Amino acid sequence: VSVMAEQSRRCSYFFLYDASKVTGESDPTRDGICYFYPEETPIDKQELLCGQLAGVGRCVSELSSSPVRFLRLHRNKYAIRMKDDFFWALGCSAEVPTISVCELLDQLINIFCFYNGSVRQSYQMNTRETLAARWARYLSNLQSASSELHHIFSSLKTIDSTNVDPLLLLKAALILQACQRCPLVLAGCVLFRGRVLSTQMSPQLTMKVMVHESETYTKSQRPNGPSSSSSLSAVSSTTVFLTLSELQYLQSPPVDKLSRSHSTPQKDAPPKKTRLSRTLSDMASTESDSSDPGPSQRISFSPWLSDSDNSSFSLAPPQIIADPQSPPPQSPVPPLSNGKNSREAEEALKDSFYQSFHSNGDGDGFIHNNGDSSVFEGNSHFSGGEGDGGTACGNVFDLQGAESHDDEAMVGDGGVGCGRAQGRHKAQQRDLAPCSGAFEYPGESPLVPMTLYLHRVKGLVLALLVEPHFLSDTASMEEVYHSSLASLNGLEAHLRTISSGAPGTPGPYIFAHFDCIQSTLTTNLSGGPGGALEHPFVRATSLLHLHFCNTETLQEAIIRSAGAAVYGTRSVAQETYFQQQGGSLRNSGIPNHQDSAFLLPSKARHRLLKHGVNLL
Amino acid sequence: MTTKTSLLKVILLGDGGVGKSSIMNRYVTNKFDAHLFHTIGVEFLNKDLEVDGHQVTLQIWDTAGQERFRSLRTPFYRGSDCCLLTFSVDDNQSFLNLGNWKKEFIYYADVKEPEKFPFVVLGNKLDVTERQVSTEEAQQWCKENGDYPYYETSAKDSTNVAIAFEEAVRRVLAMDERTDHLIPTDTVKLHRKPRSAATCCS
Repeated sequence: VSVMAEQSRRCSYFFLYDASKVTGESDPTRDGICYFYPEETPIDKQELLCGQLAGVGRCVSELSSSPVRFLRLHRNKYAIRMKDDFFWALGCSAEVPTISVCELLDQLINIFCFYNGSVRQSYQMNTRETLAARWARYLSNLQSASSELHHIFSSLKTIDSTNVDPLLLLKAALILQACQRCPLVLAGCVLFRGRVLSTQMSPQLTMKVMVHESETYTKSQRPNGPSSSSSLSAVSSTTVFLTLSELQYLQSPPVDKLSRSHSTPQKDAPPKKTRLSRTLSDMASTESDSSDPGPSQRISFSPWLSDSDNSSFSLAPPQIIADPQSPPPQSPVPPLSNGKNSREAEEALKDSFYQSFHSNGDGDGFIHNNGDSSVFEGNSHFSGGEGDGGTACGNVFDLQGAESHDDEAMVGDGGVGCGRAQGRHKAQQRDLAPCSGAFEYPGESPLVPMTLYLHRVKGLVLALLVEPHFLSDTASMEEVYHSSLASLNGLEAHLRTISSGAPGTPGPYIFAHFDCIQSTLTTNLSGGPGGALEHPFVRATSLLHLHFCNTETLQEAIIRSAGAAVYGTRSVAQETYFQQQGGSLRNSGIPNHQDSAFLLPSKARHRLLKHGVNLL
Repeated sequence: MTTKTSLLKVILLGDGGVGKSSIMNRYVTNKFDAHLFHTIGVEFLNKDLEVDGHQVTLQIWDTAGQERFRSLRTPFYRGSDCCLLTFSVDDNQSFLNLGNWKKEFIYYADVKEPEKFPFVVLGNKLDVTERQVSTEEAQQWCKENGDYPYYETSAKDSTNVAIAFEEAVRRVLAMDERTDHLIPTDTVKLHRKPRSAATCCS
């Protein structure tokens, strides 16, 4: 039981150390400690841990000339991140999978940067106390409320879709699409009681947005319950900071995003944000997928884009000409030359991506192994080059100028061009070489200020990422507010009645199904602090997950104790864990063909079909 | 008592595509969007107004007209103070279905005295030129089914929309007053809203 208690508090230590404050021999280590968790730790111990870890970190980094990502000390594991003079460490008990520790630290730093911008600037503009309170809030937010399984996979908290009519998921998706008719709205998500109902954003970005949501929810709960006033007071906003790649991803048209998940990206799709008109064909397409809360919401049909390359090509010119910000076309065949530019730009982007990818020492094999080339989804990590990459970036943004009115700022940042890869496979890849560093650094890429707009109706929240000047654009604000208010009211009414349903009884088996792409978890575990029966399953899952992460070729495994056996299987897109309850395990100690553990794979296949998990 | 604001729930029912959402949006936000998507399930908006010296907050529930959304919408019929049966004057089938909508409402709203329940009938899309339902036909139906008030509306050009909702409020208020007089004071109607309860006690 004590193990469980410790695990539910995932993180045992976290600190941020600023080495620039400790330069002289006589400078005390404590001057460099920006934040230390747990805060009640005696300062001597804080200094000891900071000093040791930072010292070892720097030493190993210099010896190996690559940044340290991970250290093990006594019974704790420490994820390490270094940037400039900043040094972060997050320690968990040795039981927690390494990848989960690293993910937790990355999440924490990313959340901080999302709400505060660059770390250095934040510490120049705010007191340590102010920022300490924020670190504490983000940390407690990451550790709170979700189950142990969610911690293992760092998965998003999603609504239990077995209790929710798929039509309501469609309704949520349509609310988001309706908001996108306002060109200042980039993307959004709909949350209910701190869980995702529908999102247009990557899991990582959705997770960041949810932090603010849960904070405002806690606040709104404090004064005598949520207010029932229907006025604009239900609306709030805050400044957030997106990485360049996040922004590029949001601004690329849905079809483009879709094509990125196939092996042949549609190079000619014009980089323009599509306005989604709500038509019957939309309905049909979305509805058929609506039982699946994930990608179906991102996949939206836009007839002229889904045509062949040629026709989309020929349709591109009007947009470019209509763009008030682009110079009038000079060449005799302006549409072609313009179109070609964009294509070349994208080509160049990809070239530079490939270069940097290969220079990182990973072979082609990885791309093929993953099949769906999620590397593209991450929007090309180009190696800080002032060469092709930088130019290409500028071009791309220029074309997007029609939609994003902030293009000057972005072109400026674009030159630096250090995209941060998104997507789950990045994480996996990172784990293959956990200490290689260099590929992904939280908070490294330039940050672009945006606005997070929240509209709350009791437990339901519409969260939108909008251009900063959205708030001063009364017409746009009203359009978005009025186009969503009735639907949000209705959706809240629907969900309130549904969610009162009792959690399903455990049944004769336990399973957990993790979707790596959407970062969602489906399970029949109750979710709360687990009972005695659930604990072996959670531990086995944790162990299997670690093995899957570390051994890319591993696809299936059974892990067993004297009393229980857990089956795990994975593909590129998912991981599934299954345990049959009850019935004594026929286990002689030596594996034989009658061992009931070997029946687990076929049982899992059959049992999980009704949960929408297809292992065939 | 007249200063107290009461919440009245009115519900719009009718075939898909007759313009229920548009009517609600026109009335509450004074906007018209020709490209509205099907309503899924239910939606609602609140509007404060004053009718004959009574301050009321009208909670207008808009519902999905398509058959496949039936199970989503019907749980929200309960507690309605007034039902606006809506059809489109350019769609005869939507007019013929009015009776079914009335039946569905009475069944799921669990109305105790259906013959006394305030219904209002709206013939929307008055702006279109090719009518399939004549004013006389519609008035005839209203007369035969319980003498319901009938309004021909256009959410597109705003014709009669506000008037229809105000009439709905009047009907509910009139009902309340009648029941206040008729019902002995020791019974309490639980689904009635604050205003009537307050009047009861006075």
